[in-house]
Amino acid sequence: MTVDAALRVRTTDDVAAAVKDAAQHRAPLRIVGRGHWLDAGPPALAAAPLALDALSGVVAYTPGDLTLTARAGTTLAEIAAVTAEHGQWLALDPFGADDGTIGATVATASSGPLAHAFGTPRDAVLGLEVVTGDGTIIRTGGRVVKNVAGFDLTRLFTGSWGTLGVITEVTVRLRAKPEGDESWAIAVDDDDALVAVCRAARTAPVAPLAFEAVDAALASRLGLGGRTTVVVRLAAAAASLRAQRDALRTLGDAAAAPTTVWETLRTVEPPAATTLRLSQLPDRTAHTWHAAANPADTMRHATPSRGIVRVITAPGAEHAAASIGHAAAAARCTVIPERLPALLWPSVATRSPTEKLAARVHAAFDPWDILNPGLSMLPASRDV
Amino acid sequence: MTRAELAGALRAIVGPHGVLSRASELLPFSADGLPTYRLPPTLAVLPSTRQQVIDVVRLLARERCGFVPRGAGTGLSAGALATDDAVIIGLNRLTRILSIDPVNRLAVVEPGAVNVSLTRAAAPHGLHYAPDPSSQTACTIGGNVAENSGGPHCLKYGVTLNHVLAVTVLLPDGSLTTLGNAEGETPGLDLLGAFVGSEGCFGIALDVTVRLVPDPPAVRTMLADFMSIEAGARATSAVIASGILPAAVEMMDGPTIRAVEASIYAAGYPADAEAVLLIELDGLEAGIDDDVRRIEAMCADAGARTVRVARDEAERARLWQGRKKAFGAMGRVAPALVVQDAVIPRTRLPDVLHTIHEIAARWDIQVCNVFHAGDGNLHPNIAFDPHDPAATERVHHAMREIMRACVDAGGTITGEHGVGLDKLEYMPLIFSPDSLDAQCRLRDVFDPDRRANPGKVVPVHACREWLASPAARVRVS
Repeated sequence: MTVDAALRVRTTDDVAAAVKDAAQHRAPLRIVGRGHWLDAGPPALAAAPLALDALSGVVAYTPGDLTLTARAGTTLAEIAAVTAEHGQWLALDPFGADDGTIGATVATASSGPLAHAFGTPRDAVLGLEVVTGDGTIIRTGGRVVKNVAGFDLTRLFTGSWGTLGVITEVTVRLRAKPEGDESWAIAVDDDDALVAVCRAARTAPVAPLAFEAVDAALASRLGLGGRTTVVVRLAAAAASLRAQRDALRTLGDAAAAPTTVWETLRTVEPPAATTLRLSQLPDRTAHTWHAAANPADTMRHATPSRGIVRVITAPGAEHAAASIGHAAAAARCTVIPERLPALLWPSVATRSPTEKLAARVHAAFDPWDILNPGLSMLPASRDV
Repeated sequence: MTRAELAGALRAIVGPHGVLSRASELLPFSADGLPTYRLPPTLAVLPSTRQQVIDVVRLLARERCGFVPRGAGTGLSAGALATDDAVIIGLNRLTRILSIDPVNRLAVVEPGAVNVSLTRAAAPHGLHYAPDPSSQTACTIGGNVAENSGGPHCLKYGVTLNHVLAVTVLLPDGSLTTLGNAEGETPGLDLLGAFVGSEGCFGIALDVTVRLVPDPPAVRTMLADFMSIEAGARATSAVIASGILPAAVEMMDGPTIRAVEASIYAAGYPADAEAVLLIELDGLEAGIDDDVRRIEAMCADAGARTVRVARDEAERARLWQGRKKAFGAMGRVAPALVVQDAVIPRTRLPDVLHTIHEIAARWDIQVCNVFHAGDGNLHPNIAFDPHDPAATERVHHAMREIMRACVDAGGTITGEHGVGLDKLEYMPLIFSPDSLDAQCRLRDVFDPDRRANPGKVVPVHACREWLASPAARVRVS
């Protein structure tokens, strides 16, 4: 499937018309932003592409309100450029290139190292415009930072992988960019030392924006040397930054790292790599880290505060990834594949414990199962 | 089953003291702090164990009887009142804090646990529960989950949604399910996100796993006073736009200040001021005083007469008490107080507050503003005498105009109290018929019989095919 062959829409009304038509003909649609996620997520069934990349542009931005509304096909890079002019940013750094779209980021609920401080898209999204599976245009939430009017469809659509509706517009909360922004790397000798640094950091007087552990293989790829390393992003006004830097040095041998290290990390995985996200309670992160250890062709990084370990396996080593997934599941982790060959998916991915309810939600919003069929991972999806 | 038989069957589950059916006993359940609504229920049941809650809901499911889950009844939107003979299920007896995990910073609590009791229980570990509604000494965690409650410190720390990791839910049909995951990420749809804030329409939370937050090492609480509410609003907008993220930015207007200062909650606010801002900064010690100085300058630029920083914990507590007990203090102004709740974009604070003032003057009513200025969450409160029908009528008119002004400014009709019954008429101001219908569709997933907190949140006429069963509606074609 290529984006070029897609039905390309420019307005929400176009989307509604396309979905209505698809519903009428029971002809499934695959929703595409920039196409970065086509090989990600649960195994998809065949469907005609509906391209949203031309449905782009910032609709509303009032810097004083720290909120921004953009069409779904707007890229994260464009949002970053517009907000940077006012010293603000959307504090989301999902893995992948910055030319990914805000619509895809919200649809997949993707986040990156900044989730340590700012959470995931569910914490940043204030409102949506969505076309549901019968071609109806609806709005959820609003454009203000606090809102409990009505049932929270915003959270429902965030992370639903386009299986309940096509997200056409997104309103997000922005944040002011701190004055200083610097990154530090603390290399450690072994996993015991890693655990000690992470533990000490929890109570140290530092408030990092990101705090990520990377294994030796990944540290080399990031240009940080060949040892297991903790990468820390500090951002604050000068006085606070100075004090935090000093505190960080008490945790270990902190060396300055280029700020580009985060961009590199976001795009480090080669095309066709397999990636898994493993999670457990934060204090089980070390166990998860061990369960994910594999001598060959594997890189790991972890967000200890969130209990998440992400495993990247080189192309051709999918079965190693599957073994890691099985080992993690045996260690009571939740295993969420980001990219995994379809055949391996059923045995690796942790199933949702609420499939029955989810199937009813799906029937309510995409009654003919025409939106991103397969991605809901619900049994009914296979009947199409 | 007759009503008497139902009461008998409920008594068989919860014991003789757990069912209330006499009008005098039911009086406390007829209101939720909003004086314009009184709906005495005909039956209330007060289970004391998780199993009793399950048995009660299963009995009501068999009898196809509506029910209203209720916590402390402090919601202020008439959401916890019973319509259509629904049975009140009071969850106040399930108050236990089941566990605290200081390492992973989690707690598991029963729905009737009082908000502040959780923070007290977490205190020995240097942790607290961040969402802190002004009613936190009374309101329950279950109620907070139902309303997605906020509070002053939500400006920095987020609302209930951002702090709930998992909930064991008793669905209206009596089945059990777990939403969210206390031990890692949740695969599949974010049904927990949908459940939080569903105002009791999606079921009952039997236990709630919440995130606890470390107590900040440094706190600075400041009080700035102004000779106009617009000046205070300008200062707020300046602080928010500056990039400093205070833990809280709260505003009180002149009438509120004077009511508080005349009451037992007197906090030392300058009684001749027309507005005060209570600004709290927290975080690391290093650099915090730089931010204090920047905010002092911003307040001065906006026209503050004085800005003072609380010298010690006692002064800080006193400044906060005046704010958190302001609603109570207004009992001095008039017999009743309608506490309203709306949110506007923060840049619109000065002009919307001006509009509210005009509306109040036009309808000859007294509005007191005490609110979460930092996130634009207004609480325009109207003090009035509910025994004066003409005054009550004027209050209703003024309220409608105020809500409309907030919506016209790009805002919403509730930031933390919920829709309940009170805001039903405003829902079509912010949502199209199709958007309201989509909300009905979600409700029908959780409660196809529409028995959980019936008649709340979405106006009934907004649900298309109201008479058709949900199963019929999705397969029409």
